[in-house]
Amino acid sequence: MIKIRLTLNGVPHQVVADPKSSLLDLLRDTYRLTGAKQSCDKKGQCGACTVIVNGKAVRSCTTRVGRLDGADIITVEGLGTPTNPHLIQHAFVLAGAVQCGFCIPGMIIAAKALLDANPDPSTDEIRHALRHNLCRCTGYVKIVDAVKLAGRFLRGELEPAALYPDPDGPKIGVSHPRPSAMIKACGVAEFTADIALPGALEIAAVHSPHAHALIKRIDAAAAAAMPGVAGVMTAADIKGSNRHNYMVTDRPVLCEDRVRYVGDPVALVAAETREQALAAAAAVKVDYEPLPEVHTPQEAMADDAPQIHAEWSNVCLTQPQIKGDAAKAFAEAAETVEAHFVTQCNHQASLEPEVSLAYFEGEGDDAQLVVVGRSINIHKHLAMLQEATGWEDMRYEEAFVGGQFGIKIDVTSEGLTAAAAIHFRRPVRYIPSLVESMYLSPKRHPFDMKLKLAADARGKLTAMGWDILVDNGAYNSMGNVVMLRAIQMLSGSYDIPNVDAMARLIYTNNPWGAAARGAGPPQTHYALESAIDLLARKMGIDPLEFRRRNSLLPGQTKSTGAVVEEWPFPELCDALKPAYDRAVREARAARESGNGAKRRGVGVGAGAFGIGGPGDQSMVAVELDPDDGVTVYGAVADPGEGNDSMLSQLAADALDLPLHKVRLQTRSTDNTTANGPAAASRHTYMSGGSMLDAIAQLKAAMAAAGGSTYAALTAAGVPTRYMGTKKMVVGALDPQTGQGPSFESQVHALQLAEVEVDTETGEVKVLKMTCAVDAGRVIHPLNFSGQIEGGMDMGVGLALRERYIAGQTKDWVTFKYPSTRTAFEMDTIVRETPRPRGSNGSVGVGEMTLVATAPAVLNAIDDAVGVRIYDLPATPEKVKEALAALVSER
Amino acid sequence: MTLQGNGGSGGEFGLSRRPRQIAGHTVTFDNEGFLWTSDDWNEDVAAALAAEAGLTELDDTRWRVLRFLRQFYRDNGRAPLNRQLAVGTGMPLLRLESLFPGGIKQGARRLAGLPNPKTCM
Repeated sequence: MIKIRLTLNGVPHQVVADPKSSLLDLLRDTYRLTGAKQSCDKKGQCGACTVIVNGKAVRSCTTRVGRLDGADIITVEGLGTPTNPHLIQHAFVLAGAVQCGFCIPGMIIAAKALLDANPDPSTDEIRHALRHNLCRCTGYVKIVDAVKLAGRFLRGELEPAALYPDPDGPKIGVSHPRPSAMIKACGVAEFTADIALPGALEIAAVHSPHAHALIKRIDAAAAAAMPGVAGVMTAADIKGSNRHNYMVTDRPVLCEDRVRYVGDPVALVAAETREQALAAAAAVKVDYEPLPEVHTPQEAMADDAPQIHAEWSNVCLTQPQIKGDAAKAFAEAAETVEAHFVTQCNHQASLEPEVSLAYFEGEGDDAQLVVVGRSINIHKHLAMLQEATGWEDMRYEEAFVGGQFGIKIDVTSEGLTAAAAIHFRRPVRYIPSLVESMYLSPKRHPFDMKLKLAADARGKLTAMGWDILVDNGAYNSMGNVVMLRAIQMLSGSYDIPNVDAMARLIYTNNPWGAAARGAGPPQTHYALESAIDLLARKMGIDPLEFRRRNSLLPGQTKSTGAVVEEWPFPELCDALKPAYDRAVREARAARESGNGAKRRGVGVGAGAFGIGGPGDQSMVAVELDPDDGVTVYGAVADPGEGNDSMLSQLAADALDLPLHKVRLQTRSTDNTTANGPAAASRHTYMSGGSMLDAIAQLKAAMAAAGGSTYAALTAAGVPTRYMGTKKMVVGALDPQTGQGPSFESQVHALQLAEVEVDTETGEVKVLKMTCAVDAGRVIHPLNFSGQIEGGMDMGVGLALRERYIAGQTKDWVTFKYPSTRTAFEMDTIVRETPRPRGSNGSVGVGEMTLVATAPAVLNAIDDAVGVRIYDLPATPEKVKEALAALVSER
Repeated sequence: MTLQGNGGSGGEFGLSRRPRQIAGHTVTFDNEGFLWTSDDWNEDVAAALAAEAGLTELDDTRWRVLRFLRQFYRDNGRAPLNRQLAVGTGMPLLRLESLFPGGIKQGARRLAGLPNPKTCM
């Protein structure tokens, strides 16, 4: 140990600490400062822990305490507070740079270090200064905007007050600061690992190194005897069903007699410190008997394939889709294309690890187990945890959540945490490493797709044929929903009168899949939009014109047979046309002028994404408060999209209230309605809609009471609380034909990719993405464009870099996380066709933004160099190989 | 007729819909016997479901439980925890569990027309 003197946020301190320990641990554990975050297992990869030491931005996770004697340290808490923020914190809030907020304290500190040295940095200088700071939400556009805005504030050119919208002014179409933005910018919003839990045991899990094996014996004796260890748990120690029952009881909390993928949890250790728990987990001996593994749907469907679950066939679900007479249309077609497309297993890569904690509140028989975590569906997850652990008196609380993108549709670490709290009767906390977080969480399903498209001589699509195999991985979770949503949106933006499709969902010994931004349609749209381009080019028709010509129109039917009411896709094509023409001209000019080995290309991709789903229901309550404000009660998770803005601005608009008089209760199962997940882009449409229904009831009550105040309602004996509902049409696809009800409303997008391909290295650089989008009326312009930008950045990662390989993808470097080094210019063109059934005319946009990106990029690569990549991601190696094959063909 | 669920409050959790006649109404249930839509509930439906479950009569005690569940759900948009049910009805848990075949979760909640606990509603 060593005694050091340091100045922390202007205050001198002396502290005794292990000189080898990290500054991050000192800040978080000794000084209880929560602004600096931990994501990358202290490898210095993410920058969420950035602080300033002696005037320079450093990553505190790799800064040793022993080198800090005499250091002057500034953390985000030293800049400002929510009531007295620093100008940079104002700038991040006003620029709309704060989504989930997990990376933001580190970003703000890195920005301060930059602006202290360079008060007027360029975009390139900002990107360089922030190159060590990762963000999954924003695509870095608004981060750069925020730093530039902060520069203007600091240079005295502008004051924040000039930019804050009037809180009593219009509520719709105005970017009022997110209710949660400033506390995130000041580092005081509590994410799960920030919550103090005195006396908590720390957990580490033992994970299977095998993809398929029998568990013959678990020897925990040595581990149990290690220092600080409270105990070791196996499946036998869990009193409930030990199953995470999302829709099938196939996934154990701890494996009983068999493991089915690399990373399956087998045992857990609880100890006084995380280091002790990790050491003991490494000492647990598990004897495995390896079993034959299947790693593709084709292998799993073979007659002699091992059955992965004794109770269920490897074929989880089969869903055809039949419309018209595809065979006849193919026979009569003027032109056809046929291709085989494959997408990768991918990680959603929210920056925050899969942290959770659990503790008992109260004593004896009245004690309630409180589970805190990252859930986006707290009531469903509560029910799952009750069943899995056998403990009924439980409450789930959603902490602030550092991004999710579908990963938290299912329970990840909470099953282990809740079971351990019950077993040891002590508070427990689980801060999984990045590797463990990847093991415990679901992935984007890989799709294997054979697709055939046909058109007549006029360039009108006449038929499509699909054979889709979805790799469900080892457990089902909600794989059915993912595959069926892909089928429900199979014809994309287009009128395709004849369809012959088959989709199958197959268990394998790969990581299990579930929701991942878009959940199914991004995979099928990659294939469809690539094939559309192939067909257009084959017929000599401009790809944008081909898309416009084949747009579905109101009154026509999708591949499900459902008639659509609105379809503003041709208008989006027209809106994108000027940007498209400019991009084509520039690419052509670049090609003609020659640029060494670099070739420029332009591609477009489209999508029509359904909101919610048939049968969806929502309930949200609204209560008039004694001060005549309102409180909204509903489980409306907000892992970063801005649902707090959506609810508060819609409510304030409907009731003509100032924003500060709308309060939200959305995070605890004890005081919210069970309202469904933050998934399927549904909360604006469903929860916003049910809240507006409750408000309509409240306003009717006010009219009946003859006054709109709390006093008037109570004097009239009228209730002050109202339950609103919204329900979608009930129905399901026919299991034989895939025909049936579809979505009430869609969000439409058309994206333009401009890329530069290095023909020597195969490297693809995205120069610019432009998204023309129509999601109805825009409630909050910055939140809206923030979703578009973040989704396009994620879509480019899906197209070019990202892939999850169990056992090999172990951190943000091996994952190839997007950074300011891969960032690119973005533009958003917004059309606002009001949706008659939307919430104030609005629908959600969080997923659509990703759907069209990958095919636009792949089409641009083809345009640039004439090669088509059929399996994602289009890595430099694949592009280079395809170029070499093209040369040898010629 | 059995429809394969896909999306919404029940379908996404592996439940399928089964419309059938009960108490003179056509009502849609899931394949575990819970009402698909809570609004389809009425006292006749509850009495018929009780009879199917082997309860020849829904006495005042059982009605007190069912009415509490309905009111709690209407007010809060979710089912009560067991301790809230015990406090609300003034009955100990063991007694509550014994009143309905299937206990509280699979019995009382089903007869009260609350959503299947598997759903997030």
